Amino acid sequence: MADPTFLDSTELVLNMGPQHPSTHGVLRVILKLDGEKVLGTECVIGYLHRGVEKIGENRTYQMFAPYVDRTDYVASVSNGLGYCLAVEKLLNVEAPPRAQAVRVILTELNRISSHLVWLGTHCLDIGAITPLFYTFREREMIMDIYEKYCGARLTTHAFRIGGLQYELYEGFEQECRDLCDWFLPRVDEYEQLLTGNRILVARMTNVGVLTAEDCKAYGVTGPMLRAAGVPWDLRKAQPYSGYEQYEFEIPTGKNGDTYDRYLVRMEEMRQSVRIIRQAADRIPDGPIMAKVPKVIKPPVGEVYVSIEAPKGELGYLIVSDGSTQPYRVRIRPPSFINLQSLDKMARGALVADIVAIIGTIDIVLGEVDR
Amino acid sequence: MAATPWESELTQALAARFGDEILEFSSYLGQEFLVARPAAVIPILEWLKTEAGFDYLVDITAVDYPARAERFELFYILYSFARNQRIRIKTNLPDGGRPATATGVHLTANWLEREVFDMFGIEFAGHPDLRRILMPEEWQGHPLRKDYSILTQDQAWVRENLGIESAQ
Amino acid sequence: MRKLLRRIFLVDLVEGLLVTFRYQHPKYITTEQYPAERPKVAERYRGAPRLNNNPETGETLCIACNLCALACPETLIVVGSERNEQTRRKELTTFTYDTSRCMFCGLCEDACPVDALELTQDFELASYSREGAIWDREMLEDGPRPTKYKY
Repeated sequence: MADPTFLDSTELVLNMGPQHPSTHGVLRVILKLDGEKVLGTECVIGYLHRGVEKIGENRTYQMFAPYVDRTDYVASVSNGLGYCLAVEKLLNVEAPPRAQAVRVILTELNRISSHLVWLGTHCLDIGAITPLFYTFREREMIMDIYEKYCGARLTTHAFRIGGLQYELYEGFEQECRDLCDWFLPRVDEYEQLLTGNRILVARMTNVGVLTAEDCKAYGVTGPMLRAAGVPWDLRKAQPYSGYEQYEFEIPTGKNGDTYDRYLVRMEEMRQSVRIIRQAADRIPDGPIMAKVPKVIKPPVGEVYVSIEAPKGELGYLIVSDGSTQPYRVRIRPPSFINLQSLDKMARGALVADIVAIIGTIDIVLGEVDR
Repeated sequence: MAATPWESELTQALAARFGDEILEFSSYLGQEFLVARPAAVIPILEWLKTEAGFDYLVDITAVDYPARAERFELFYILYSFARNQRIRIKTNLPDGGRPATATGVHLTANWLEREVFDMFGIEFAGHPDLRRILMPEEWQGHPLRKDYSILTQDQAWVRENLGIESAQ
Repeated sequence: MRKLLRRIFLVDLVEGLLVTFRYQHPKYITTEQYPAERPKVAERYRGAPRLNNNPETGETLCIACNLCALACPETLIVVGSERNEQTRRKELTTFTYDTSRCMFCGLCEDACPVDALELTQDFELASYSREGAIWDREMLEDGPRPTKYKY
């Protein structure tokens, strides 16, 4: 073997530190590089760990609901929905149909809002700055609806155990319909800006490929699994909160690379608009809150309920010991489990692709670390 | 817990294969679960993956019951795409029990078991990389145990790393 | 051939640029010039807390039932009361609310039976010290007074 010269490459360990504009939060990725090629990655997380599961053991069931919003803070309405569904299952009550319809509308608006954040920040990382402004402008309209309904834009605490707290305000259905009419051409605009763009196509195709077997092995769910070709969506497989009444399709991809995930999420936004239109046209009348006692003391037992959050399967395992405070609340975070597959996708990629891959997993550090 | 017994062809096949390693088959509020001995959990996971199509490990977590002799109850939640069915496997471990790792069967178990180790202190034998994942590496104590008060903080860690006395 | 022309003349990039240039028209400006124009928040907005008084008599509506303190997840409300011997009712003396730990979840507002505690549309709650974030009864009744900048 000849002596190593200056041009022979050695392994370089590079720290993509917790403060980084492209890591979508405080995520630290330690990269092992050979020149520009990635040999391996290691994620160091825990910078945003706030002990939400421990807090859950020290609060009553109703008091814990605002904390749950703050795990996935981009899509806080879905978190609230999952938690309320889990506690309602423990209590064996079901929310009335009017509450279920409004919950579906708000959750689908939330899905659009979360995918808009994903689109803006992912394209910003790849280099297209303009879509960020447009998606956040759309998001403002959605947050206006949230603000008028429950009083807060981001950490909404919109649902209560057993149904809803607030009655709908005047003009809610019309505003939702107006938003849908305004929004659908905007999605076409984003497609015009991005989908055919050769830079985006070059940076996204064949980057971060995760086949269907890998997805199932790593427990990856959500748009990543659908982009790999598996048409599985919890809203269709195990419907909750009245989703079986609405018609919508599950978009799937073929290759499981970043470009397919982009197309899947764009199409999911369109399908969400379809669901909102159907739900807003037929909100039933009736009460908004089921008969739930003021002091919630579920019987001893445990239950696991999961919903299709914008990022994947969000599950709540609640263990009750018969008292007013849960004995154990476990949040099954989709971002945490999807982030495990970063190592598999990143091997053999270039450094610039790491940014695209982290963006396409669509992580929110509040959920990864809880 | 007011659990009802669970009978199906899956439970019969499991009982035929594993016999008395499985202590009970129950269902509560429509969600089925089985309780097994700790040593049998990994063979059950393998059998379920290859024979019954439960190829997706949803979650691994634990609950701490300090009053019991077998203090930790370890949960494995599995889902099968083909059957559209979710089951739970529970097992009871004493303090210091070392269950085998599930990373050989499902790759997801890597970080999930690291989190259980970090929060409860349950060590998994054979895990490729068992260290703390959410808390800092030098942290003493396991936060989700019931004897770890919500106000506890590692005073030594604060003193060394931040150079001040902890304000609690 | 068509594909080659599309590639040479950068057609896909130009299509994107058309969208961007269309938005240069001033009617698409969505920026709000804060603090010159303050945003209009919704009626149900969960902002600064306020202790309401009876509009006719000027007395406080609070009956010192302590339900808000029991409902708060962060236990940051402290209600002090004394028993009035003549009317045999509890009367409110002190009411402390710690806005530095408040997460504006609205559970206290939902719990109040007489609508005395309400979360208003005020969102300018900054203060210069940590103690300034702990509001006592007067601050709660009058509301925060943020500096209004004059141009």
